[in-house]
Amino acid sequence: MKRLILVLTMVMLACTAVYADKKKKLNQDTDSFRYDIEYCKTASDGMVMVKVWSYSKRSDLAMKQCRKNAVHGVIFRGYSGEGSSHRPLVSDPTIESVKADYFEAFFDEDGPYMRYVGAMMDGSAEVRKVGKEYKVGVVVTVNKDMLRKHLEDAGIVRSLNSGF
Amino acid sequence: MKKILLTALFALITVSAFSQAKKPTIMVMPSDAWCKANGFVTEIDNMGTKVYSPDYTAAMQGSMDLINVIAKLNDLMNDRGFPLQNLETVIKDINNTSAELALVEGKNGGSVVESLYDQVRNRAKADIIMQVTWDVVSVGPKKSVRYTLQGLDSYTNKQVAGANGTGEPSHEVDPAVLLAEAVEANMDAFVGRLQAHFDDMFANGREVSYLIRISDVWGNDLESDYDGYALSEILDDWFYDNTEGHRYNITDQSDTQMTLNQVRIPIFDERGRANDANRFIRDLVRYLKAEPFLIEDIKVLNQGLGRCVIILGEK
Repeated sequence: MKRLILVLTMVMLACTAVYADKKKKLNQDTDSFRYDIEYCKTASDGMVMVKVWSYSKRSDLAMKQCRKNAVHGVIFRGYSGEGSSHRPLVSDPTIESVKADYFEAFFDEDGPYMRYVGAMMDGSAEVRKVGKEYKVGVVVTVNKDMLRKHLEDAGIVRSLNSGF
Repeated sequence: MKKILLTALFALITVSAFSQAKKPTIMVMPSDAWCKANGFVTEIDNMGTKVYSPDYTAAMQGSMDLINVIAKLNDLMNDRGFPLQNLETVIKDINNTSAELALVEGKNGGSVVESLYDQVRNRAKADIIMQVTWDVVSVGPKKSVRYTLQGLDSYTNKQVAGANGTGEPSHEVDPAVLLAEAVEANMDAFVGRLQAHFDDMFANGREVSYLIRISDVWGNDLESDYDGYALSEILDDWFYDNTEGHRYNITDQSDTQMTLNQVRIPIFDERGRANDANRFIRDLVRYLKAEPFLIEDIKVLNQGLGRCVIILGEK
């Protein structure tokens, strides 16, 4: 009986370690925010469709990062494509480091960013092997209007009517 | 002493906490080019030259696309906390007010005085005009929309924001759908530039313009001498001393008129009240009424947040 408990405990510890390692790996890749973002289409009600290409040595991790990278791209990088270009939501490029604590929490696993990005579009995923890592592209929808309001409320972005 | 300091500090905090700049009014209007292309113009014979004047009433009654575009832009600006004036409602309001005033008759038999100037001023206007233009381009079986949105400052005539683009050719049959997409797709760029304009205004002061004229019954002009200085020179000095960063530009000057553009005035006056062209110029009027000028009759015509006409020698 004791042996059984010992084995079960070891298995559980091993699973936790694997999960922690996967999460660590995911966070490492995410922290660097290595991705490309392309504009696809503006939908109604403030939604925008973007294609995000994420990089990782594991294709499943790269795919999982795409949603987070899409929100990051809309906030900090802006995007272009289809003959048009779109500015990022923040105009101050230093804001990411100035408000590092805020954005760390915002982009945490299952953090508030999840509320502003939809599921990956079915059939949109593309996986390419680039050197030793994978480049994975998916199309996602970002609720840009709601995201902007969230950032306005948090004092990250100035609203158009501030000061009046 | 402590009490005075505390009161002053409280007053300062109150002013800074509650001071808000005057919010410019914004209205969407179709461009003259769109009105002419769609036949919503009236033709005027100006001494042998055909001049086309946009007929906004006809446009609002005759184009569903225009109504949709204005409604969409109103929605999007409302989401940004900046509700717009509605062109159709403003036109109706002007017509109703004029009709009502014409029928007013007091107990003494008097009626409401409306000068010719009042009648001319009584037109659809706003501080910033969002001028919209679009047309549908056919590429084979596909259609796309060419769309331009310009934010024009009514007083400086500057374009303070703009966005344009041609949508991707689509098999979509209904141009209204393409148009709605074009409005939505170009809005962020437009608002971004408008935000930059407001940021500049808060940093460097509101940009306004003044027209200084003299009355034909006034015995003096802008070249009249006061203590060895021409009045035009005195006015120049006053604007230098009182403008934000000494920024203003005299674009036209003679002995009978002076035009000042790009005049930067503080957003708030010394009492913390929101400033505009009319409030800012009150100090100049007081200055000219005092010694040694003693110009008693000065008429100020307020033309909105950003423009005033000052007539010297007229009350």
